[in-house]
Amino acid sequence: MAIWRIALKEILSSVRNRQTFLFMLALPIILMLILGAGLSNAFSSKHSVGEVRLLYQATFSENDMSAYWDSFTKAIGKEGVEVVPIRPGMDWRQEVSSGRYTAYATIDKEGIAFFGSSKNTVESGILQGMLVAFADRYALGTAAFQASPGVGTNILKHAAESKDFIQETTLAAVRKPGSIDYYAVSMTTMIALFSIISANYLFGAERARKTAIRLMAAPISKGEILVGKMIGNVFINTLCVLVVVLFSKFVYHAYWGNHFWLVLLALLTEVLLAVSLGLGIGFLLTKQEGSYMVVMIFLQCASFFGGAYFPIENTEGILTLLTNLSPLRWINTALLELIYMDNIAAVWKVIGLNLGIAAVFLVLTVISIRRREAF
Amino acid sequence: MSHVLEIRNLTKKFGDFIAVDNMTLNIGEGEIFGFLGANGAGKSTTINMIASLLRPTKGEIVLLGKNIVKDSKFAKMNTGIVPQELAIYEDMTAYENVSFFAGLYGLRGAMLRERTEEALAFVGLGDKHQSFPKNFSGGMKRRLNIACAIAHLPKLIIMDEPTVGIDPQSRNYILQSVRKLNEMGCTIIYTSHYMEEVEEICTRIAIVDHGKIIAEGTKEQLTSIITDTKEIWIGFRADGAISIESLQGIAGVTAVRQEENTLKIVSKSEVNNLNRIIQQLIKDQVEIRSVEEQAPNLESVFLTLTGRNLRD
Repeated sequence: MAIWRIALKEILSSVRNRQTFLFMLALPIILMLILGAGLSNAFSSKHSVGEVRLLYQATFSENDMSAYWDSFTKAIGKEGVEVVPIRPGMDWRQEVSSGRYTAYATIDKEGIAFFGSSKNTVESGILQGMLVAFADRYALGTAAFQASPGVGTNILKHAAESKDFIQETTLAAVRKPGSIDYYAVSMTTMIALFSIISANYLFGAERARKTAIRLMAAPISKGEILVGKMIGNVFINTLCVLVVVLFSKFVYHAYWGNHFWLVLLALLTEVLLAVSLGLGIGFLLTKQEGSYMVVMIFLQCASFFGGAYFPIENTEGILTLLTNLSPLRWINTALLELIYMDNIAAVWKVIGLNLGIAAVFLVLTVISIRRREAF
Repeated sequence: MSHVLEIRNLTKKFGDFIAVDNMTLNIGEGEIFGFLGANGAGKSTTINMIASLLRPTKGEIVLLGKNIVKDSKFAKMNTGIVPQELAIYEDMTAYENVSFFAGLYGLRGAMLRERTEEALAFVGLGDKHQSFPKNFSGGMKRRLNIACAIAHLPKLIIMDEPTVGIDPQSRNYILQSVRKLNEMGCTIIYTSHYMEEVEEICTRIAIVDHGKIIAEGTKEQLTSIITDTKEIWIGFRADGAISIESLQGIAGVTAVRQEENTLKIVSKSEVNNLNRIIQQLIKDQVEIRSVEEQAPNLESVFLTLTGRNLRD
């Protein structure tokens, strides 16, 4: 019974601590919004094609070529591409570099020379593809014309009528996280790991307030105090994590996949890991200031290398080691694999790892408490 | 008188340092027992062992006939501790504080509510039960500190400096509360740096020094120890430093201490050395304002026995 009384007291104190709530709730929700909105392009697999304008200079020696070009410009004009011949006095470099035109092309008997804009690479690529298709069909037509004039004329005539100068082939891509989806996961796991701070101060606060004396003088065991405080701390931190998950899901419409309960279970084990780590560090390093410093350094490194602020990929050497040591790395990778690839096994591995490490630190805490006369 | 607490050959070591050295002591039922000792004398260590906060290295403590190490739960159920420093939660109301700690002693439901309200009313905080301690004065916090220790109606209450840093009105309230608790049948162990408090409320006093009890008894019994001693109080104008060493060198003088503008000199009563003391002060160019000879009191007993001030 004393266990529940201590747990309830812990929850009550946490609920009344506005700073804790601001930190545990407002911080991830605001960061999710800021980073999600600010870095949306970095995650997007979609691109809206803007205005496509081709500036060109054509010198045709053959009527067929001229006719074919006209047909081609009409055809791509219907697709929204504006094709404009260069006027005397125009500097094509300036026109393209300033973004007024997407690309510049010269068409003559030597072939087609293409100069695309480095600013609008997608639009420039589209134009390039169209011109390549045009050149291929023209080359095929002229080659056929030499062998059989009738066939060649027919090819050139119908080639211009074709609209599919760009044949798009898309693989059925798996769903990928957008920026809000990514930061919903990374901020939630980061805030779950931040449980380490309150856990680290669980007994330090009792010592600082001198209430540890009353707890020790009461007819309850050290084990009951430890379990009661842990239950309260895990509950309140899990509640914060749950609120952040639900907020991201229903307000930001972040995607959490088809295994929602498994996601929550993984997050709960991460909170357990963080609370055990916090307690362990708090007891292994007796000075509260030193313990707090270690926790904060660990958190910052774990957050950074774990990809909380931006995804860290293709690492080498020491950076790979550091990223792999971050609990956030394990949990983020596993959760993303679960959410987007339905890889359940990856999450169970991380759950096992979290619980294993939590158990080790809990054992260390219990040994430390048993060896001490007071907290 | 039956003994509520029996301390037998109690020793506590921290490494090589002996904090409590083979202490033996009995405290009877209904006593207000004063524990006097300078800082580091072993008083707090003894109190912490009685409250089961520290384990004895040797010896035993028996509370109400049971060894407190073997019957730890029983001992804790029957003991209440009022720590020297405030041990309350600032983010919980007065009621929640008392109720939480009383709940740890097994109180539940209506009984818990009743005892919590009684404890708060006892310390005069009945009308403040929904207030948070952060809005309390120092005296009110001290009273709440006491309420948290008494709601479970312990047989033995340990009060470690319960009046530190509070106004005289709150101090009087607390001292009255101590007396009332005692009248209700509680045995109290009381420590204070204020000698007059100990003199006023304690029925028996022990003086602790270097981990040992060097004297024990009623106030009268203790002052009778030093019948061969007198105390001379000399008021002076404070301009410069007084040379304590030169006074200590005078024949018969056993201890000298300065408290603001008063020199308190303990001397052997059979030696007539007042003239020499005054001559020395004149020689040191001290402007004397008054000279009084005091009957021995608890403070002079403490000073004579330990050679130290209680506040040292």
